[in-house]
Amino acid sequence: MRRLRLQLIVGVTAVFAAAMPASIAQERARTRSPAPAGAKLAFVDLQNNARIASKVTLRFSITGMEIAPAGTARRNAGHHHLLIDTELPPLGQPIPSDFNHLHFGGGQSEAEILLSPGRHTLQLLFADHDHVPHDPPVMSEKITVEVMAAPEEKPRTTAAPNAKVFFIGLQDGAVIPPRSVVRFGQENIAITPAGTKQDNAGHHHLLVDTELPPLDREIPSDFNHLHFGRGQTETELTLPPGEHTLQLLFADHEHVPHDPPVMSQKIRVRVQEASATAAATPPPARAASGRTPAPNDAAVYFIYPRDGTRIFATSTIRFGLRNMGVAPAGVVRPNTGHHHLLIDVPTPPLDAAIPADLNHIHLGNGQTERKITLPPGKHTLQLILGDDQHVPHDPPILSERITIYVGAAAKRSARR
Amino acid sequence: MNATARHRMTAAVRLLPLAVLLSTAPPLSAQTSQRQAAPRNALVYFHYPLDGLRVPERFTVRIGLKEMGVAPAGVDKPGTGHHHLLIDTDPGPPDQPIPSDYNNIHLGNGQTEVVVTLPKGTHTLQLLLGDHTHTPHRPPVMSQKITVYVR
Repeated sequence: MRRLRLQLIVGVTAVFAAAMPASIAQERARTRSPAPAGAKLAFVDLQNNARIASKVTLRFSITGMEIAPAGTARRNAGHHHLLIDTELPPLGQPIPSDFNHLHFGGGQSEAEILLSPGRHTLQLLFADHDHVPHDPPVMSEKITVEVMAAPEEKPRTTAAPNAKVFFIGLQDGAVIPPRSVVRFGQENIAITPAGTKQDNAGHHHLLVDTELPPLDREIPSDFNHLHFGRGQTETELTLPPGEHTLQLLFADHEHVPHDPPVMSQKIRVRVQEASATAAATPPPARAASGRTPAPNDAAVYFIYPRDGTRIFATSTIRFGLRNMGVAPAGVVRPNTGHHHLLIDVPTPPLDAAIPADLNHIHLGNGQTERKITLPPGKHTLQLILGDDQHVPHDPPILSERITIYVGAAAKRSARR
Repeated sequence: MNATARHRMTAAVRLLPLAVLLSTAPPLSAQTSQRQAAPRNALVYFHYPLDGLRVPERFTVRIGLKEMGVAPAGVDKPGTGHHHLLIDTDPGPPDQPIPSDYNNIHLGNGQTEVVVTLPKGTHTLQLLLGDHTHTPHRPPVMSQKITVYVR
């Protein structure tokens, strides 16, 4: 197959050589550097009619010749040029330098390019120190690639058809004070912090006085689109007096709504000064969930290992905790909790005590690290803080679920 | 902190509980008995910064603890304690509560990291675990004294 293509290239070259005006061919014949007969230029791992992402790294392979930076005259050497959406330039002159003719004069053999969605042609052309193609020219087949539009590339995270989100204790048409706590509920779908990828799971977004954003891309983050990326289920909202609309929209680890989208009804609320509403609707009590409140900016995270890394079978997992303190189980102290290390299990229900078994390791004495032994293979780890009764806080303080690999580095060599 | 003093500190950590920490410390005070026992292999250490590092004026000190747990001050539970960050100072006598001032930062709510702001220049940092009464354990659970350069 490859040999056949090469013959094709040689054939095309011959046609070009014949088509060139004889005078130019003769005049330039002296100045063009010779190329060996067996020289071959091709794209690595890129076939004709391939479908690619708009941002793609292309790799070039040259055989039978060497790469030398532009300006360095050397026998059987040259540097790459990438022709995008263009025909071959005149072969007797230096290759133009513009958006359609990319020069790799530093001797690069790969390049990251950005292409608009649609069909494009790509071709490689080797040239000497003066950017003039060799004689005979060394070039690749001209291939056509199709760039997929970005949103189609990646399927949206799925949601259960009966999943729903709703406001708790807040009806359409309600009258609320300027500062009030809004609580969210969800059914048939799990809460995970932003960044943790899991089917039928995600985090809340509150849309204030705005229409639904496009459902096939990331929800904007601004005063009208509030993100609750740490899995919060309530927020204190401050609104000016007047009519406002509120709507909940659930979204996945990358803030993209699910398929099908999980959203609440859009409700209208009227905000009135406290004096007028004192009797009407008292704001819901803080942490009405009954769970221990936690600071909004608290976070738990892995100091070691990092996501995606390979670790020894027996390793010490180290935990970090920001803006809260550690206390042993059973100790009631505001803004404290104790760590739980979850191994290879999904996030447990956040309104009940964290189970205690081999997959849910309790660090009940206030430990901030734990030595564990895992069998070879792929594992997931997640940290979640529990209060004195092992119940997650409100908002829950949980880390991203990280993936780690145990055992010999076989995967890395296989990928290459 | 000069090199000899630092050297003496590390040696002292190794030689505990003999704990003749400083020439000024009362030589026999380490024998007082109410102090909580710490496991022999307990260790408090810096995740960040490390010894000799250049750091910005405002940075987060992250603290690791081996073979023990963290509990807020006032919680009397064996095998636990709370962190103290000693800045540009040496530990006091090990049988006395750790003083509370700008050089001895108490993490009394069980924190395992703290943001500090230091003027430009060379500073020393050291970690020392205290029990529910802020008194070091027996033997004291203490990190090496490290030097950082605030730029």
